[in-house]
Amino acid sequence: MNTKVKVEYKTEKMPVFKHFCMIFIVLFCFWSILSGHFDFKHLSIGAVTSLIVAWITLPLLCIPSTTTKGTYFMAFSLPIIKLVRYGIWLLVEVVKANIHVALLVLNPKMPIDPYIVTFNKEMSNPIAHAALANSITLTPGTITVDVVEGEYIVHAITKEHGYSLAPDKGEGDMPVRIAKLFNEQEILAKRWQDVDL
Amino acid sequence: MLTFDHLFIALIIGLLIIIILMLYRVIKGPTAFDRLNGLGVIGTDTILLLILFGFLNKRVEMYVDIAIAYGILGFISLVVLAKYIESKGGTNR
Amino acid sequence: MKILALIFMLSGFFFTLVAALGVLRFPDFYTRLHASGKGDTLGIGLSIFGLALYHGFSLISLKLLFIVIFIFLANPIGTHAICRAAYRSGLRPWMRKEE
Repeated sequence: MNTKVKVEYKTEKMPVFKHFCMIFIVLFCFWSILSGHFDFKHLSIGAVTSLIVAWITLPLLCIPSTTTKGTYFMAFSLPIIKLVRYGIWLLVEVVKANIHVALLVLNPKMPIDPYIVTFNKEMSNPIAHAALANSITLTPGTITVDVVEGEYIVHAITKEHGYSLAPDKGEGDMPVRIAKLFNEQEILAKRWQDVDL
Repeated sequence: MLTFDHLFIALIIGLLIIIILMLYRVIKGPTAFDRLNGLGVIGTDTILLLILFGFLNKRVEMYVDIAIAYGILGFISLVVLAKYIESKGGTNR
Repeated sequence: MKILALIFMLSGFFFTLVAALGVLRFPDFYTRLHASGKGDTLGIGLSIFGLALYHGFSLISLKLLFIVIFIFLANPIGTHAICRAAYRSGLRPWMRKEE
């Protein structure tokens, strides 16, 4: 566990201030969309409220790293362009997953063979774990059952889908993409095994 | 002449049929988690149902706000119920 | 634009219906979650996106897009919460018998 994971965000000049500004901008856009009035009174009330809420929630959204002590990740200072590119790829996968589920449901024989895969993925950023778990649920044939300290338990609907996520050697496509997205430099030990229940 | 209002009525009827099917799963479901799953599907479908009602009544601006509040409350209550049943630890019933 | 909205709404309703049928037809709890977690997310998302296209660009369609983003973030989390609760309280998945 005591490996040095390079943290990209630490080299930025004022990460906390940028994070604060991002929270403020998101909250203010949300206020403007929900209120629907764009005169001075409503906008000023919204600005004051967003400032107060951003100030209160600032320490809550600085998430401590799981591997190195003393470093924090800011939930709102993510690389936006990479995130959008990843989202488009994920959308295509979601459509594929739905067509797969539709074919399974409308097939009278229902060719399913449920299977449980566990694999290990060490990442220092908890937000990356959340993103990976959500993506696993949305992609074809797999849902996340449990995540405990980098240990993923995944329910796959056929064996091939389980293998595609955690193959015998190396690792699947999606963990690599998530690790690239969140600048996780060192990929630690990974293994996969059968679980008999 | 078919207009979009007919489409909205058809979609509302279809969603009501889906909700009745899910109620079968909620009542019959072998475990408590099956019931929770059915409740979650009903909660997500009701968001679309509310917005369709709004388009049918020509008062979308009101119904959209209700749909946002309903969606957020439904999600939170689903997570809390899941935690509660897990703490009770009952797989039967 | 209206034709595109029609296509989005009908395909979204198709996926929602498939999700409901899957929840009825699949043999056990974990496989039912496959149907509800994926089918509902894309089905409701596509339908609401189609309604936003039908309405045209305004504040209301921005709110509809916010609902779509919220569903795409929240629905997998809800599915995962139920699934984890079931796993931790000891529900075992259905397996095909090996003969």
